[in-house]
Amino acid sequence: MRQQVACRPRVIGDPAILLARPSRRSAESSKTYTLGENFCSMGAMRMSRRLVVLALVAAGALVAGGCGGSDKPRSIKVVIAEYSKDHTRPFWQGLAQQYTEKTGTKVDLQVIDWNSIDQQVSTMIQNNQPPDVLNLNSFSSYAKDGLLYSANEALSPKTREDFLEAFARGGTYRDTLYGFPILASARAFFYNRDLLARAGVAEPPRTWDELVQAARKVQATGGDAIGYALPLGPEEAQAEWSIWMWNNGGDWKSGDAWTINSEKNVQTLQFLAALANTYKVTQVNPGKTNRTDGAFQLFKDGKVGMVMGFSPLAAQLDAEKKVNYGVTQMPSNTGTAVTLGVEDYLMAFKKKGNQEAVRQFLDLYYQPDQITRWITAEGFLPVTKSGLEKMSGNEKLKPYLAALPSARLAPTTDPVWDKVKLDVQQNIGAAVQPGGDPKQVLDRLQKNAAESAR
Amino acid sequence: MVVYPAVELVRASLGRYSITGLYQGAVGLRNYRRLLEQEALSAVIGNTVVWVVGVVAITILISLALAQLLESAFPGRRLVRWALIVPWAASLIMTAKLFVWLYDYYFGLLNRLLTATGLLARPVDWLGDDGTVMGAMIAVGVFVSLPFTTYVLLAGLQTIPGEVYEAARVDGASAWRAYRAVTLPLLRPALLVAAVLNLIYVFNSFPIVWTLNDRNPGFAHDTMITYMYKIAFKSALRDVGLAAALGVVNVLLILLAVVAYLRVSRWREEPV
Repeated sequence: MRQQVACRPRVIGDPAILLARPSRRSAESSKTYTLGENFCSMGAMRMSRRLVVLALVAAGALVAGGCGGSDKPRSIKVVIAEYSKDHTRPFWQGLAQQYTEKTGTKVDLQVIDWNSIDQQVSTMIQNNQPPDVLNLNSFSSYAKDGLLYSANEALSPKTREDFLEAFARGGTYRDTLYGFPILASARAFFYNRDLLARAGVAEPPRTWDELVQAARKVQATGGDAIGYALPLGPEEAQAEWSIWMWNNGGDWKSGDAWTINSEKNVQTLQFLAALANTYKVTQVNPGKTNRTDGAFQLFKDGKVGMVMGFSPLAAQLDAEKKVNYGVTQMPSNTGTAVTLGVEDYLMAFKKKGNQEAVRQFLDLYYQPDQITRWITAEGFLPVTKSGLEKMSGNEKLKPYLAALPSARLAPTTDPVWDKVKLDVQQNIGAAVQPGGDPKQVLDRLQKNAAESAR
Repeated sequence: MVVYPAVELVRASLGRYSITGLYQGAVGLRNYRRLLEQEALSAVIGNTVVWVVGVVAITILISLALAQLLESAFPGRRLVRWALIVPWAASLIMTAKLFVWLYDYYFGLLNRLLTATGLLARPVDWLGDDGTVMGAMIAVGVFVSLPFTTYVLLAGLQTIPGEVYEAARVDGASAWRAYRAVTLPLLRPALLVAAVLNLIYVFNSFPIVWTLNDRNPGFAHDTMITYMYKIAFKSALRDVGLAAALGVVNVLLILLAVVAYLRVSRWREEPV
């Protein structure tokens, strides 16, 4: 009974002690962990806080008593972000089952929604109970902290060589691959065909000038028609901003230096503020609108002429059949359309004795049928050469696959990005509110980024 | 059970953590000093005061009226008493999400209602306009606090014996006079319980402020609880140690507030 209790890190979800438990980094800590893992396989149970404390005491007593564990873990903890309710858990559960049948190692699978995964993973690491395998949208801070296995340590050569070049680069920290691409997505420009036709816009805009014209015409059709839905609220502002920035020739960094407040970028943000406040062609308060329940919701309701979307939005639109929409490339101010590619990662955490178990798990996921089956189900894009081959025939993915060559990634390989991203999410919206000052906002973001980089 | 998390919280507040949550050693009181340097802190404290005082005061006023209503016999009283429990039983996050839709600029029922009846000339972005966010949040806070408070006060009312009212009536007191001179003083224990428990509960409330305010950038409408969460996980600070320091401050603050409140109300109880 005690031993069952000793292993279940369910405390993680408890907000009361979410901040409360610093890791005990002692010489025994890794051994404690191995022990816990072994006992974990004996039984899973939720427990009260009282039991947690008992468990900690028990675990401490066991370590003090010199009870050692075998090196090969009996189970590994796999933490996966929930991309969709329908597909994520079933796929990973199936994979875990196959893995256990093959290797005899059990899998403690945790599928966690995006809203709380950062917090839960942070708590695991604070408690010195990191996962063995983790799926997240950032990796470089973990690499910087020395928590991860490199690709050479955790993947077979065949798996390593199958990654598409650009995505392997996007997972590299200091010339070593730590963030293994798990899937990718690319943004594209969505437009409401009926609304544009009613406004007398024959073709979706290719340039920023055309975009303003088209948006004005949509807005002029009256009702609560919205020309362009601009989500610069905290949810995903960095994604929307990246696309505008790149399509004006600006960038996050130049070489090693951050260039967030470059002249080009100030001009871009002033343009977005003008969309909101001068041309008045956006929804109300674009700096306070999130993507999923804001801009996308309005587009799905048929109120919006144009929005930047991605394949999951297309899937929802297809399911609802309410909006007659088209998908095309981003309007550009430089003549070259650029889109945002987003790559998520799998990471393997260094823990005593888990290397072989982790490698086997990752190699199983990266078998071409497995990874492709999941990515297809979730509606995302391939990250491997074999996957690209298998998926290139998929009609629905055509616009996104076509956009991939021109897609750029956010600077996720720089650990500073993990802070810059949050800073942009929390602050850039203020620039497009009435009275907002784009230059001042960007100057501040630049200052913070430069300070973090130091 | 209370002591253990508290000790751990204090320990965390004295440590330095990497953005990943990795412990990097003790730093003494540095996190507390840094906390005082945070620009947003004064606005957040102001918000917290407005939020707590607003919700608790309005809740108690409305609850007093509701309790009085439920105390008097009327047809359907049992039904109303049951209906009042509903917001209590529903999950806070679901309630908050529901209100997000009610308040919505484009789809919201509230704007449709107010513009249709001519009370508003044009819709209002209740959760986006800086002038209305806090009021909108307080309204939801009151809504979810009413059931508990009303039932505490109702229980208090039922402990007041009928004879005292009869005596008041014999002495020729008006209904209002009787309410002020008899009901309120005898209700004091119940009022005290309602106020203190609400104070703690509202101060610590996370889901309402978090859900209704999630679209707004920065910290302009955060309370100390949501600010703590943002420091730990959602802002460029991303610092568990700093957040733990704020957590310690929060605990001390609420203790202080409760003690102060109890002292003030006991002091008033003493005979003049």
